[in-house]
Amino acid sequence: MVRLEKGKFDDFIRSLAEDYIVYAAVTAGGKSSFKVVASAGEIDEGRLLTDRSPKEIFFPHSEVLFEYDGDGIRETKKAAKPIAVWGLRGCDVKSLAMLDKVFGTARQMPDNEMFEDPYWKRKYDNSLIFGLACNEPRSTCFCNWLGGGPHSEDASDIFVIDTGEAFLMQPVSDKGKAFIGKMTDAAGASAAGASVAKASGADEKKAAELASGARAMMAEPPALDGLDEKLKGIFHEDIWEEMSAKCVNCGACAFVCSTCHCFDVQDEGKGGKGKRIRIWDSCMFPIFTREASGHNPRHLSSDRFKQRVMHKYSYFVDNYGESLCTGCGRCVIVCPVGVDIREVIKRVLSFEGKGAR
Amino acid sequence: MKNVYRPIDAEILEVIDETPTIKTFVVEPKEDIGFATGQFMEVTVPGLGEAPFTPSSSPNVKEKIDFTIMSVGKVTEELHRMTKGQMVGVRGPMGKGYPLDAWKGKEILIVGGGVGAAPLRSLFLALVERLDDFKKILYCYGARTPADIVYKELILDKWQKINPKKIEIRTTVDEGDASWKGNVGVVTTVVKDLGIDISNSVGVVCGPPIMMKFGTFALVEHGYPDSAIHLSMEKNMSCGIGKCGHCMLGEYMVCQDGPVMTYDKVKDKPAIWD
Repeated sequence: MVRLEKGKFDDFIRSLAEDYIVYAAVTAGGKSSFKVVASAGEIDEGRLLTDRSPKEIFFPHSEVLFEYDGDGIRETKKAAKPIAVWGLRGCDVKSLAMLDKVFGTARQMPDNEMFEDPYWKRKYDNSLIFGLACNEPRSTCFCNWLGGGPHSEDASDIFVIDTGEAFLMQPVSDKGKAFIGKMTDAAGASAAGASVAKASGADEKKAAELASGARAMMAEPPALDGLDEKLKGIFHEDIWEEMSAKCVNCGACAFVCSTCHCFDVQDEGKGGKGKRIRIWDSCMFPIFTREASGHNPRHLSSDRFKQRVMHKYSYFVDNYGESLCTGCGRCVIVCPVGVDIREVIKRVLSFEGKGAR
Repeated sequence: MKNVYRPIDAEILEVIDETPTIKTFVVEPKEDIGFATGQFMEVTVPGLGEAPFTPSSSPNVKEKIDFTIMSVGKVTEELHRMTKGQMVGVRGPMGKGYPLDAWKGKEILIVGGGVGAAPLRSLFLALVERLDDFKKILYCYGARTPADIVYKELILDKWQKINPKKIEIRTTVDEGDASWKGNVGVVTTVVKDLGIDISNSVGVVCGPPIMMKFGTFALVEHGYPDSAIHLSMEKNMSCGIGKCGHCMLGEYMVCQDGPVMTYDKVKDKPAIWD
């Protein structure tokens, strides 16, 4: 673990920006999101959770895949520098690792790179992720329901703890170890540009205190064991109409969700010229499944609500062994009609009905 | 790395009118793009977008591919306006097709309806081209009216004549007309007196949702085990590589786990006929 004084933070970000495209939490016009920064002054350092999820760094809302005209196809260029993300909360770090399972691997055709997503991989594969510990989780946070925690290092390259006066940096992955190694190495120090010191015993103690303090702020989570099976069992029950009664299918939950990854492939153009884009889509929208014939397998609002819940806590478990949710709570914050996914989960767990039809 | 989103150019060589709303486009891909029968491809209309179709030609013909397409949406309506010499894009093939090798020595029952005839034509041709491997093919096909029958071969006994001992074609229409001499009734009305050894047979069902449902139920009633019934679970596939979520059926991404799936895999999934 190394210690970076807050006074040196700007130097650190500036030097990082020489080798990386640096993304960090930025608040503008009252809304926060991860944006490219060149200096520490642009960063909303105390931000616990950005309004928009950081998935857009690697999977933008709208991404041009290629352009074409009568002479052929021009693919978009790969960025010259790798991406570094400063200050991702543990839930968001985990979200990216989940999205990497979807985009970066070929589940159905293992090791077949034909089915790995080139646009995701060229950004995520060589990225450097600085996870940032949450010292004061908020009331909508429920990462601890899903195996996470406010001081979880999982999937970070470098895990950072803000002690108030300094950032303590713990290398986690090989990539993170190499980076910290370079920073502390006498020859590499100038390349990294910022001076760090080895963390002291007092620093380590402070880190441990902050971690246990943050954990204590979160309520005891319910046991989610069997949620997957329970969901499958109640697929045909009326409970879905009750739980989704308020839902207006606006899709805001999916938009801010750090793990929702559904998209549509569309063309913008005219007369043989144009560009192919992929754009976020959501199972909340009726046209998501509507076929050209007009037939729609999920024509009811409750069908769509159910699909989102089933995908997150059942289908994704079948395919990837974990829930497609990290408990960031953005959907709870943003829902205009007050649907709280935690209440949905609790209702499902407590439901005692007929079971599967 | 290979960019799976990038289509390759294909020139329209010929456009064949099949029915008032269905045309077959014969295209010549400018790069190698093989496929197994039952797999699908995304066809691009430049400037407009792409949509998923299963080729209707034999997988053994590499230099050109047929797509039989009903005019029903934005992309297909524009396709129907296109003519010989124009370019489209194709990408794929995607998903899992029919497991022909596993069917060696078997009797094959095909139940199809409407534009479901398109993938079934590809399957039929692939079977015929290695007919020694199979004992029998019984192909039952239903269309709404005689004018809606997609391939003339289904009326003209042309396919049956390839080998009358091994091949039987039964065609039916929901509503006949003055000139129609054949069976009138939905396709399940000809799925009887099969003359097939069910224990050594596989079934294939492909067509509109309602036909898929009752076609499958008919096969189950005849005693086909669920694992021997092959369904084409077409959905509105978009990315084709199991990521965009449009074609989810339970935990399956139909574009990768299907589109050809056996009934045992999907029968307990939510709303499979919807």
